[in-house]
Amino acid sequence: MSRAVRQRVQAVALWIATFLLMVIMCIPGLWVVLSAFRPNREILARPPVWVPERLTFNNFAKIFGLGDAQVAIPVGSYFMNSVVIALTSTFVALVIGMAGGYAFARFRFRFKNSLFLSLMLFRTVPGIALSLPLFMLWSRLGIIDTQMGLIIVYIALNVPFTIWLIDGFFRQIPMSLSEAAQVDGCTRWQAFWKIEFPLAKGGIAAAGVFAFLTSWNEYALAAQLTRSTDSKTLPVGLMDFTAQFTIDWAGMSAMAVIIIVPALILTFLVQKHLIRGLTFGGVKG
Amino acid sequence: MAEISLKQVVKNYGRTPVVHGIDLEIADNEFVVLVGPSGCGKSTTLRMIAGLEDISDGEIRIRGRLVNDLPPRKRNISMVFQNYALYPHMSVRDNLGFGLKIAGQSKKVVAERVDEAAGILGLSELLDRLPAELSGGQRQRVAMGRAIVRHPDAFLFDEPLSNLDAKLRGQMRAEIKKLHQKVASTIVYVTHDQIEAMTLADRIVVMRDGHIDQVGTPMEVFNHPANTFVAAFIGSPPMNQLPATLDDGRLRLGDGTAIALPTRLRERVRAGQKLILGVRPDDISPEGHGLLEEGEHDTIDLEVDIAEPLGMESLIYSRLAGQEVLAKLYGPRLLSPGERLTCRVALTRAHLFDADTGRNLEAD
Amino acid sequence: MFRAIRTRQTTLAPLVLLLPAFTVMLFVVAMPLAFSFYTSLTPYRLTRPESIEIYIGARNYIRLWDNAAFWAAFWRTILFLAIALNVELLLGLGIALLINKLTWGQRTLRTIMMFPMMFSPILVGFQFKFIFNDNIGIVNNALQSLGLIDRAIPWLVDAQLAMFSIIVAEVWMSTSIFAILLLAGLLAMPRDPIEAARVDGCNSWQVFRHIPLPFLMPFIFIAMTIRSLDVARAYDIVHVMTGGGPAGRTELLWTLIARVGYNNARMGEANAMAYVSTLLSIAFTVFFFRKLMAARRYMGGAE
Repeated sequence: MSRAVRQRVQAVALWIATFLLMVIMCIPGLWVVLSAFRPNREILARPPVWVPERLTFNNFAKIFGLGDAQVAIPVGSYFMNSVVIALTSTFVALVIGMAGGYAFARFRFRFKNSLFLSLMLFRTVPGIALSLPLFMLWSRLGIIDTQMGLIIVYIALNVPFTIWLIDGFFRQIPMSLSEAAQVDGCTRWQAFWKIEFPLAKGGIAAAGVFAFLTSWNEYALAAQLTRSTDSKTLPVGLMDFTAQFTIDWAGMSAMAVIIIVPALILTFLVQKHLIRGLTFGGVKG
Repeated sequence: MAEISLKQVVKNYGRTPVVHGIDLEIADNEFVVLVGPSGCGKSTTLRMIAGLEDISDGEIRIRGRLVNDLPPRKRNISMVFQNYALYPHMSVRDNLGFGLKIAGQSKKVVAERVDEAAGILGLSELLDRLPAELSGGQRQRVAMGRAIVRHPDAFLFDEPLSNLDAKLRGQMRAEIKKLHQKVASTIVYVTHDQIEAMTLADRIVVMRDGHIDQVGTPMEVFNHPANTFVAAFIGSPPMNQLPATLDDGRLRLGDGTAIALPTRLRERVRAGQKLILGVRPDDISPEGHGLLEEGEHDTIDLEVDIAEPLGMESLIYSRLAGQEVLAKLYGPRLLSPGERLTCRVALTRAHLFDADTGRNLEAD
Repeated sequence: MFRAIRTRQTTLAPLVLLLPAFTVMLFVVAMPLAFSFYTSLTPYRLTRPESIEIYIGARNYIRLWDNAAFWAAFWRTILFLAIALNVELLLGLGIALLINKLTWGQRTLRTIMMFPMMFSPILVGFQFKFIFNDNIGIVNNALQSLGLIDRAIPWLVDAQLAMFSIIVAEVWMSTSIFAILLLAGLLAMPRDPIEAARVDGCNSWQVFRHIPLPFLMPFIFIAMTIRSLDVARAYDIVHVMTGGGPAGRTELLWTLIARVGYNNARMGEANAMAYVSTLLSIAFTVFFFRKLMAARRYMGGAE
């Protein structure tokens, strides 16, 4: 085989491999999205219907209790709970994470590495393992099944990784910029807000999205710490569609789309910073 | 427009001392260069003057005012950083005006002063660009502009030229010198490059291991190095340093070579003292090819190992008493390896150091 | 006097900045863990609140020692992690190398790859439960339509297939993080050493073995560390897909804890298990974090 032909073949093989890869990556998600717009009848049809005859918004209307609603699943309150809990916990985690990340990036102090590691270790405690004592303690404190109870937990869940990411972003900003600003007449606080914060903004937003999605997607803790429409979040609500022996696939798919879409949009918006933050925070000491 | 005074200034990192109690008086409008190898404490000293590092002990005064506990913004100094530290998200104009804006100056004053500084440094065309769109030399100029707009008491430069290529470095060196003449001010300048020190300084401060080894004008430091370290550090190529002992009124090197003891040093040498003879390559030259053909001298025989013709002069690598020795030949002439040369050693410009302390016998 | 205060301030600043973070962690993680450690020393049952005051020492832990279901779940968890992480790493590396070779579309592909990372684990579980459903799942439908099988494969009913399906779901969700980080590593890698190695006569494997691989190691460790922070999210997937079944054959430590703690209300025993699972996660994270630190030092980036 001549060199040119071989290169040709290689290029084609590369494209086929990439195409297959993308198919495998995308099909599970796309299939659920597609099912969200198909009548349940078609999903359950035997033999399978491959090409949908028509697409419908009925599944969405149904789970929001519009039209001829049979299923009484309060998706609206779940959605609101999810939004409030995820936004609040993200905001607080970002504030705490900015302070902590700045401390790790900018100061020398004793036991720095151990403190950093211990923060990360707090994060590794499995959600289900943590849910047992939290369930007992939150009951006693009377914050079980409240938005507040879950917000506090999610703040703790997000602080370590937020610090990891933000530490990385601050480290990318040379220390001398803040020093120059201080020589130029700023207090350290001014130097932070006028110089370092604007430069780390993109990264901080990425950390925020990461935190938001962690809260948005969390199940193990929420499943135990919430029980009513007062605080149940979308992932927990998803389980409402599974009865003992049957699953409302169409309704569940519609709900899945509601969970996925905000996540995808946010990811898309900050993906560049997210990748930079993930790698930089780790590699450069 | 201010004098700076350091008294017994100490800096410790944890328990490790990095600056051991240095004293330095910098006069108004003086250009002082702190020079030394990396880790000698020069940058730390500068940063203590700027207020970016705490002072562990001692006193720093700017314009007579004790500034030990003042944050940088209250010291009325400005600083040019090694990597320029330009604010990447601001245009050149905003970079220049930032300090004035923070100080609460009116828009009009800011614009005037920015234009003035941009004029001095030839930045007028670049005011609306971002730092990322500038060349290395332009960034350097912006950093200097940011320093001058605020009309500070003193300028601090932290190795400002080390990120530039050799040609640009030469240009910027000249610009800094011009700037000092245009904008009369006190400058403290840190570098590891002795050429920068020699060319820019009114006074050079040679530092090593957290101590000051010598303070003096470039000529004093060059002509009368206080010790072997300064002798080796200032001047390029470095001064030859040959261990010697006093034997019968002559200096005897390790291999028995004898060189006459410079007359002016006769009184300063003790019998049996271990010495180091210091002679710059410029002062060892083949007969008829030297800089200094007058004055007291002695001759030695050298064999050429390698010769590097540099045009008007050639650098000769040779060996003496088991040690590499550099000599210089002035005037164009070809040399071949192995050639034997009779060289004049200019004793008027030779130095003797105590081998144990390293101190120049003439330094008191 | 003044000086003393100022120096103290600069050492105080990081502590003040870190205080909120540690306060939250102590309140939400450390304190509950201390509490759960105490309950793990009692026969506490949710149905009998007074049982929390009976101290039985390490009996719950000793009982775990003889608990066959616990050990089965324990080793299954280890095996599950070992398989899933290795497959994720190798696939991620493959994908990264593949995308690195492409001349265009790199960014788009990278963005697409980020999406599985952002899926809720509970959703991933649901999604794969849907896909692997024996009656209506796309996998069986496809295989049957293509005529490859004539009877439905009981993906989630057969013990081994169920485990396989769970691993597929886990790999689908988590391979991206490896692929993305390794791709970032590959893109950041200097080209000269590879060319030098080629000139020196290395074959492709030798080149890869000696140049990109060591360079990628820190990136592998970051991915592993980030992954290890959250391994237990596999709980969500298993919970939805099989619930630990059939007959406990996909029971992992985490689902077992939930079953013992919430379904059987034996909190003391569940907390003892939870402690074991926590230590497992911590050991895992510490291991990779150490490796990461060593790799950083090796790359000369540290401190």
